[in-house]
Amino acid sequence: MSADPYNSRVREYFANPQHCGDVADGATGFFEDQGMRIRLTAEAVNGSIRDMRFRAWGCPHVIAAAEAACRQFEGRPVAELEQFSTAQIMEDLAVPVEKTGRILALEDTVRSLGQAITDRF
Amino acid sequence: MTADSDFLYLDYAATTPLDPQVAQLMQEVHTSAFANAGSTHRAGRRSAAVVGRAAVQLGALLQADPDCFLWTSGATESNNLAIAGAAKIRAHRGKHLVTMRTEHKAVVDVFIALEKQGFEISWLTPDANGHVSSEDFEAALREDTQLASIMHINNETGVVQDIAALGAICREHDVLFHVDGAQSVGKVHMDLDTLPVDLLSLTAHKFYGPSGIGALYIADGVHIEPLMFGGGQQRRLRPGSLPVDLIAGLGAAAEVAGNRIDKDLEKFTTLREALWRGIQDVGGLQINGSPDSGYPGILNVSVDDVEGESLLLALEPLCVAAGSACNSQSQEPSYVLRALGRSDFEAQSAVRFSLGRPTTRADIDIAAATYRNAVRKLRDMAPERVA
Repeated sequence: MSADPYNSRVREYFANPQHCGDVADGATGFFEDQGMRIRLTAEAVNGSIRDMRFRAWGCPHVIAAAEAACRQFEGRPVAELEQFSTAQIMEDLAVPVEKTGRILALEDTVRSLGQAITDRF
Repeated sequence: MTADSDFLYLDYAATTPLDPQVAQLMQEVHTSAFANAGSTHRAGRRSAAVVGRAAVQLGALLQADPDCFLWTSGATESNNLAIAGAAKIRAHRGKHLVTMRTEHKAVVDVFIALEKQGFEISWLTPDANGHVSSEDFEAALREDTQLASIMHINNETGVVQDIAALGAICREHDVLFHVDGAQSVGKVHMDLDTLPVDLLSLTAHKFYGPSGIGALYIADGVHIEPLMFGGGQQRRLRPGSLPVDLIAGLGAAAEVAGNRIDKDLEKFTTLREALWRGIQDVGGLQINGSPDSGYPGILNVSVDDVEGESLLLALEPLCVAAGSACNSQSQEPSYVLRALGRSDFEAQSAVRFSLGRPTTRADIDIAAATYRNAVRKLRDMAPERVA
């Protein structure tokens, strides 16, 4: 028997991502492994993230999680990037446990973006 | 996509809808021939006559003696019964068996189970187009080989094996030849009067008959052991009261299929070509299977730079199968496509379109446009590789 593997939020973020793209000359966080690639770019002004975008090659949960991260942190202080919660994303997007490693990879990418922003802005 | 549905079904290799004529007949049989076909009273004899008629209809489709069929629950059971039943009854002569790496799980897992019971299995690897050559097949046979099992049409790729040639080799070597015909019966012409096939598995729901009913053809003079025990029905080889309405449905579906095989093949050939032409713009495509000689109701395509699971979601509302198709809940790359030499990524990006009687040219145009849009969208979303 097949149940829908995606909740409504995954379906919405996957079908209509609002943050897919690049921030020109932005700071970058990048990850490639485990059958996925994520690039996060962002620009910060006065310690806050003004614009944050993603590009992703991976399963729908990875794409939706990248969109969720952009929605969460855009407009927030750069320091909050450290507060990325894998557990919260897993719950919000009903990510199957076997994909935990992919969300942890996104967490690493978000943190590396935070470091890149700190270095750049 | 019909007005009353919110999806476009192109997964007819997984299952087919019940033919309306078949459904009507089954409803009639359900009330008019409800008695146990094994009973000797008048009502039972009426049910037995319905079962007999279905056997004649199936025999007509396959040019086979109607007495050679056992009714089963479907192709999985038929495969189990044929392979395990034949291997065990001939085990005293030898324990070597031959099959292919691209068989359906309903065959693969039987051989794995037999391997654990002391049988030795030779697993043939197909060429890049999915075929096993007569030379490779014959080379795998040994003095102690008792059974070879090769599927006629592959469920994922549509590759058609030359069962006439392979069966002839088996006859020369006194090896039983089993064919999994789940994807071929009712879809292509088969003449068991001339084909050197000893055992043939089939299931009704692949050719617009009901689910839960199949058959195993056992050629005259071929012996197998039963896997189940109970009443004495069906020569004690497959006990249990017969589901008369389901059997009637299988027989009716076989008759309908026999009257339209050529028409369906011609239509699918045209539609598959249109689908293939319609998606080529995206580039980086690779047909899995034999581009020229496969069964025309199936088109299996891999695409570069696209992740398979996301592709399937982006293709909604198309109902197609993934490259992990033997179990669509699994994200493991298809072992069938891996056996054809595809990489994990190529196999995972594979989509199987399978066409059916209701499929129209308009459906194909929608499917092609949906596929193009999905591939472009996912490629646009992806970051460039760093290395």
